[in-house]
Amino acid sequence: MKKVEAWSAEDVSDWLNKEGMPEYIKVLHQTDGPALLSLTKADFTVPPLSRMSPDGGEQLLERIEILQMETHIEDHKNGHANGHIGGIPNGTSKLQRNGTLGRKDFETKIRIPIPTVEPPRSSFPTEWGKTGIAFIYAIICFVTTTVVISVVHERVPPKEHTPPLPDKFFDLFDRREWAFSICEINGMLLVGLWLIQWILLKHRSIIGRRFFFIVGTLYLYRCITMYITTLPVPGMHFKCSPKLLGNWEAQMRRIMKMIAGGGLSITGSHSMCGDYLYSGHTVMLTLTFLFIKEYSPRRFWYYHWFCLALSAFGIFCILLAHDHYTVDVVVAYFITTRLFWWYHTMANQQSLKETSQSNLLSRVWWYRLFQYFEENVNGTVPRNYQLPLSARAFHWNHAVKYSRLDIQ
Amino acid sequence: MASPELGNAGDSSTHNLSSGMEDGSVPATNKTCPVHVSAEEEAKRSFRKGIARHDYVKISVPESKVNHLPTEWWKTVIAFFYAAFNLVLTTVVLTVVHERVPPKESSPPLPDKFFDYIDRVKWAFTVTEINGMVLVAIWLIQLFFFKYKSIACRRFFFLIGTLYLYRCVTMYVTTLPVPGMHMNCAPKLQGDTQAKFQRVLQLISGAGLSITNSHLLCGDFLYSGHTVMLTLTYLFIKEYSPKSFWWYHLMCWLLSAVGVLCILVAHEHYTVDVVVAYFITSRLFWWYHTMANLQTLKCSPNNYLTNTWWNPLFNFFERNVQTSVPCSYSWPITWASTCLKNPCKKYSMVQSS
Repeated sequence: MKKVEAWSAEDVSDWLNKEGMPEYIKVLHQTDGPALLSLTKADFTVPPLSRMSPDGGEQLLERIEILQMETHIEDHKNGHANGHIGGIPNGTSKLQRNGTLGRKDFETKIRIPIPTVEPPRSSFPTEWGKTGIAFIYAIICFVTTTVVISVVHERVPPKEHTPPLPDKFFDLFDRREWAFSICEINGMLLVGLWLIQWILLKHRSIIGRRFFFIVGTLYLYRCITMYITTLPVPGMHFKCSPKLLGNWEAQMRRIMKMIAGGGLSITGSHSMCGDYLYSGHTVMLTLTFLFIKEYSPRRFWYYHWFCLALSAFGIFCILLAHDHYTVDVVVAYFITTRLFWWYHTMANQQSLKETSQSNLLSRVWWYRLFQYFEENVNGTVPRNYQLPLSARAFHWNHAVKYSRLDIQ
Repeated sequence: MASPELGNAGDSSTHNLSSGMEDGSVPATNKTCPVHVSAEEEAKRSFRKGIARHDYVKISVPESKVNHLPTEWWKTVIAFFYAAFNLVLTTVVLTVVHERVPPKESSPPLPDKFFDYIDRVKWAFTVTEINGMVLVAIWLIQLFFFKYKSIACRRFFFLIGTLYLYRCVTMYVTTLPVPGMHMNCAPKLQGDTQAKFQRVLQLISGAGLSITNSHLLCGDFLYSGHTVMLTLTYLFIKEYSPKSFWWYHLMCWLLSAVGVLCILVAHEHYTVDVVVAYFITSRLFWWYHTMANLQTLKCSPNNYLTNTWWNPLFNFFERNVQTSVPCSYSWPITWASTCLKNPCKKYSMVQSS
């Protein structure tokens, strides 16, 4: 827009039209830009302007002032970074605009210092220290679980004395010997896939932290349920290793063996009985699937379906092998999914990271731990990928390309 | 992440605001704010044509016509039927499971840590049931005086129904043996459906309590229905009563805790039954209420709380409830309404998000 000083009479008329003051057009049809700017209140006291303007020209004069300021701002747009008082009309402006302001006053510039903006901190700080703590927490929970299994093993009633409990699934399906190996192979595959995926993630510290925390908590809950009530063996096919009453050294060795083998039958470390409620295999199968699905691109639907099939069939095989009661599997699935969704919903919503009257999710016992882990994470962790130990970030931006569409 | 909280405000006020502030109409210079605009003037644009040149823009904020907490009693009735259906289903499943409980001679009670330490006390279960009845009565009285009964009732029925539904599932799939040799299980009725039906009726009419002699069936151990009732009524009492009534909350908490402990002391349930029941009840309660209270969650894309199977039911019940239910009390008879002066959320401006 050209400067007001350069306006012709036509421009002035156009402007008057635009401002909704067409009645002035006739009177001011000879007025060009500079003349417009030189209008004062005195001009409105004499005809012809006095006839057209019931308010003494106040409104028009105001509009002229604004016009001046607008062009003034435009001139200075590429100028000083420090603002001078811009003519943004608002009611709280300190500028005296009671109609008597002349151009002279407008010329004084007021310097408003704007502090230099700090570089924004990352929304997703890595904080490997916290991931380390989560890892240690998970390790402690695993070791506790192994110790508890060892303790509980001593208390399992012999299968002759207490037969397996009636179970609906066992009534419907007979035992298949090969089923448990399939379950464990599926489990190892899923863990392997998840590990590869995790290594490729950009925000692996945050996600790793979440995985360790959730897995640790689930195994901790499992310790409790295993310990308080001991279920009998689900089938007569079980070969439980003999009880070592009071022989601490042998028990320690047994614990070590179990940890080394990851608690799997395939590695021969799953010889202890009593850890039925609830099923650790179901926890791992479900949890790895949930994490794989959560932190991989949405369009990989075939990958998700493959992992779902692995997971579901693995769980089915646990039951088919008569290695766990149905209630163990059901409870494990329920607790795993609920904890996963609970944690991730809290992590994704800023409003849930503070305790408040309406945030009842904060009443879980692990809420302080959660706040510690997630306090610096702002927002949902995006699914970005990056080769580890590589200097350049290899963004597979396709992963988030459709994020706006995916989400809504 | 986007949390369009503004969208939840009354839409009419924002509409007025936007229509008033268009076109850069200059607010008064030394006139004080707020500026006002009236809708007719804006629509006709006639004020520029000769009406007084005082520029003020009137923003009228009309009384919000939308009721944020509609009563919708019909939804409460549906929730009631849902709960009733689940209770009946539980009774039926219990009758079925009873047939499958192994006799206590052949399948002795499972080893339980609590039972190892504490021996059985005979009268403890009566204490549990009395506590349960007292808590339910207190909750009903509290509900009677609560202003938004329909909403609170609806939530209670829905949660009870879902908890009992879960219980059906866990009871049915695996049958635990009786926790103690003292338990008297009614004889099995193989195939006699008539007698089974009568049993179901007897159980329903007595509400499954031993006191009323309707607790004769065995097999409903995982998980404990008594714990569910005790925990849930306490959670509801606490949530829908003023925050300042700490002595009241403490008393109810004691009733609940003692009741749950006495279940174990009476060797009527395994410890794992009680622990699992407490866990499921408290998690479900908190989950539901957080979803209902935080309106931002409803619009948020990364809200995994909606992944549960009962989310459509939740949406149906809570769709029109737009704020957290304030706890205000009044006489149910409207002409004599006196509200208690204690607001539940005394520091609501400071505390609630």
